[in-house]
Amino acid sequence: MLLQLHNVFKWVNSGGQRIFLLKDINLQVQQGEFISIMGPSGSGKSTLLNVIGMLDGFDEGEYQFLDESVHNLKEKHRANLYKEYIGFVFQSYHLLDELTVKENLEMPLLYKKFKGSERKAMVADMLDRFNIVGKKDLFPAQLSGGQQQLVGIARALISNPKLILADEPTGNLNSKQGEEIMGLFKQLNEEGVTIIQVTHSEKNADYGSRIINLLDGRMI
Amino acid sequence: MFRNYIRIAWRNLLKRKVFTAINILGLAIGFGSSILIYLFLSYHLSFDQFHNNPDRIYRMVTEEHRDLIDYEASVPPAFSKAFRENYEYAEKVAKVVVQYGSIIDTETNGDIRKFKEDVAFIEEDFFKIFNFPLLDGSNNISLSEPNTAVITEEFAEKMFGSTLVVGKTFVLENDKAIKITGVLQNLPSTTFLKEQIFVSFVNLEDFFEFAASESWGGITSNLQCYSLLKPNQNVESIEDALLALPKEHRPDSKNKHVYKLQPLSDMHFNPLYGGIDPVLLWVFGIIGAFLLAIACINFINISTAQAFYRSKEIGVRKVLGSFKAHLFWQFLSETFVISLFAVMLGILFAALFLPSLNNLFELELSIQSLLTIEFFGFLLLVLASVAFLSGSYPGILMSRIVPVLALKGKLSHSDTGGNTTRKVLVVAQFAISIALIAATLIISRQIEYATNSDLGFDKESIVMVEVPVDLEPIQYEALKDRLQRIPNVENITFCLSSPGGSENNWGTSIKYNNRPENEEFSIQAKIGDEHFIETFDLTLVAGRNFFKSDSITEVVVNEKFGEKVGVTSPDELLGKTIEVNGASIKATIVGVVGDFHDVSFAEEIQPAFIAGNPNWYGEIGLKINRVNTKETLEKIEQHWSEAFSGYIFDYRFLDERVADEYEAEQRYLSLSKVFSALAILIGCLGLYGLILFFVGLRTKEIGIRKVLGSNVANILALFTMDFFKLILIAGILATPIAWYLMEQWLQGYAYRTEIHWWIFALAIVSIMVITLITISYQTLKVAVTSPVKSLRTE
Repeated sequence: MLLQLHNVFKWVNSGGQRIFLLKDINLQVQQGEFISIMGPSGSGKSTLLNVIGMLDGFDEGEYQFLDESVHNLKEKHRANLYKEYIGFVFQSYHLLDELTVKENLEMPLLYKKFKGSERKAMVADMLDRFNIVGKKDLFPAQLSGGQQQLVGIARALISNPKLILADEPTGNLNSKQGEEIMGLFKQLNEEGVTIIQVTHSEKNADYGSRIINLLDGRMI
Repeated sequence: MFRNYIRIAWRNLLKRKVFTAINILGLAIGFGSSILIYLFLSYHLSFDQFHNNPDRIYRMVTEEHRDLIDYEASVPPAFSKAFRENYEYAEKVAKVVVQYGSIIDTETNGDIRKFKEDVAFIEEDFFKIFNFPLLDGSNNISLSEPNTAVITEEFAEKMFGSTLVVGKTFVLENDKAIKITGVLQNLPSTTFLKEQIFVSFVNLEDFFEFAASESWGGITSNLQCYSLLKPNQNVESIEDALLALPKEHRPDSKNKHVYKLQPLSDMHFNPLYGGIDPVLLWVFGIIGAFLLAIACINFINISTAQAFYRSKEIGVRKVLGSFKAHLFWQFLSETFVISLFAVMLGILFAALFLPSLNNLFELELSIQSLLTIEFFGFLLLVLASVAFLSGSYPGILMSRIVPVLALKGKLSHSDTGGNTTRKVLVVAQFAISIALIAATLIISRQIEYATNSDLGFDKESIVMVEVPVDLEPIQYEALKDRLQRIPNVENITFCLSSPGGSENNWGTSIKYNNRPENEEFSIQAKIGDEHFIETFDLTLVAGRNFFKSDSITEVVVNEKFGEKVGVTSPDELLGKTIEVNGASIKATIVGVVGDFHDVSFAEEIQPAFIAGNPNWYGEIGLKINRVNTKETLEKIEQHWSEAFSGYIFDYRFLDERVADEYEAEQRYLSLSKVFSALAILIGCLGLYGLILFFVGLRTKEIGIRKVLGSNVANILALFTMDFFKLILIAGILATPIAWYLMEQWLQGYAYRTEIHWWIFALAIVSIMVITLITISYQTLKVAVTSPVKSLRTE
């Protein structure tokens, strides 16, 4: 088992009232799954994804990730954990505008103390794999949305994560580009990468192996 | 990793060109000023560091204890010999007497040239004490023979156009032929020694008998006495032993001498003995630090404001594995890149403005003199500390940004933090500017007060020319007669020195009205003929002017004299006797004039007497009508040159001479003007950066406000009010501090202007106006933009 959420609650206090963002979430994710989280706006999809990605904390419950009890870990330790095992893909790509494609791909490696030659090899590998060798010296603004998301996914994959978290990865793309990206996810999943995506689209959800529906912070 | 940081830093800087330019320019001005200040300070700190045993060299000085203590950087003429022969402390002792403005003639191949130069008469050991080598590097200088001299390389070039001048002669004061026996290497600019011509001490008695004599009777500031002590001497016990000298040689004098040893290293920095005021150096250093601080504040303000725009990048980096430390160092390297550019630009600024600094302080500092290890050490230190100071706070702020919010674009401006800090820093900037403006106003008011107040005498349109040699009374009359006939010359007086700009307080041992005891104070002797009072327009408050006479039988005193001897009404002084200098002058007081400022406003008015004695006249004062001034001066020169053939005509207007008394103050004023201007300039750059940012942030808000009916003025007020509040707080903080410090400065003046509250109000209002001008362009631009446009961009 990759991760397990047990009775997870998350809330904010607003005007004397407790508003629940997540309510009693119980979730098990196995290695190799492709899960889609669905639900209307404000139902807590992104919050759940952030909690899984350890970018956000929660107020009650337990979270096991690869036998580590995330809820008991210190901030720094937790950061180490997600940096090691989790890759993120964003709706608006979040490539750094000042960096070229190649440099964007290289950036996560810089923080992981790979040697220069190793980094070069890994970046070259990734450029190859995603067929974007010709674009390596371009800046994000010079790419189409689909291409940018491609780079975003390549960047998420470069340090070999066990889990990819994707928050509406096709939300800013047209349908053709969206299909390509989803195809890519499907392929990655077949190669063994676990994927959890947040999506609005039934069509995209169908690429996955399991769908989790949220409403008002609760799984239904 | 580091290369990556630098590369990203570079691209970030290019992307935000305006902010980068503001940051670099502000820091460059700060660096440039620091470099100049460094040059200035290191110049002063390097004074006389090149001698062989600097810690054993002392100057002999005198404290004169009367009713007040006077500090003289000199000793009686007999001191040198006594200290050399009767005591065991010194290895070498030498005295130097300078004759200012001596006339020197040279002849090269029939071409006769005249110079007016300061000449030093020196005892032989002078060049054994100090390290001023000859051209060949040795100090084998002998001036024991009369009529011998050594001169500097520079002066040899000036006199003869060559440095091969050993054996050549020049004529001193149209009298003595002096042979040059050696040529010295040029004197460094960082030494107390300013003279270029050194003549055997034996010759001095022909020119300045008193200084050449073995007298204990008085002190002339032309004389200085230096000593190289034997190793391991205790200065205090030497000074104790020297207490016996005045007891032995001046037992009855009311002017009690105490001889002191002043270390060489103290000479340049002790204002009591004519050195510069070290406070000036401190002020310089602190202001340099302030300017850098203001530039750093700009940097911090703009960077923290920008943290908001960079939050996405930071969020991404964090999610992709960056730790806080990574982000911190990344940001610091950006700061470093900016600082590096700023330093380079700052060096350029320094090179550009060095001539102005040299001009202001009459220095010859060169930018080449910066090529030292110390300077690069200094630069590196400043660079590192500026980069760290201005980079670390924004770095910490940015590394704290929460990635989830940043990536969702949900980060509000207040979440990036630094708002309060930014306000505090802006207040600090404003406070420094306000304090500097107030200081500038106060200094200029004091100068204004000192130069434009009624000094008790007339200084306008009075030309002072020198009397280079003693004349017979009949010659005076003849010259006076001729000068009198020049049209536009209204009045003439022959005198020792004019009121204002003189330092002749040699009148001591005063007896008033046959009192048994000498008075304790000293007196200013204003020697001049019977036209003195009229020419300088002094006010007679009692009695009459003195009559013309060959010797002093009648004197006029000032009101201060009456005050000092304890007489309340000037009329009581009339008819009383006065003796000065142990009865060498004995006369009746026939008149009293109102007090006049003989010295600068820094000092109290002293008692003075006015009397005629043709033997002591050194100057002619001519009151002229200021039409055809040039022609009048030419005529004066013509008659003067006929009377004093062989001498060089030189004149000075009295008001200029009085203004020269405030040279130091004028420099303070120029400096405080420059520094306030720089502080304001850097501050404005920062403000411009901030307003650019705020306007960008509130474009939408302005759009909404306009749709809801607010006009341009409302919107302008919206932005300016925030700043005006900060300026007011800054003013409230700066006023008491600046008030206190300037009050301290004014305490140095016996006659001083008052500090008014409106000076600070004026400073605050001017900062408000400057701020309004700085921010109005950007603000107006967004205020007049159609709201449709600004709302659509959202």
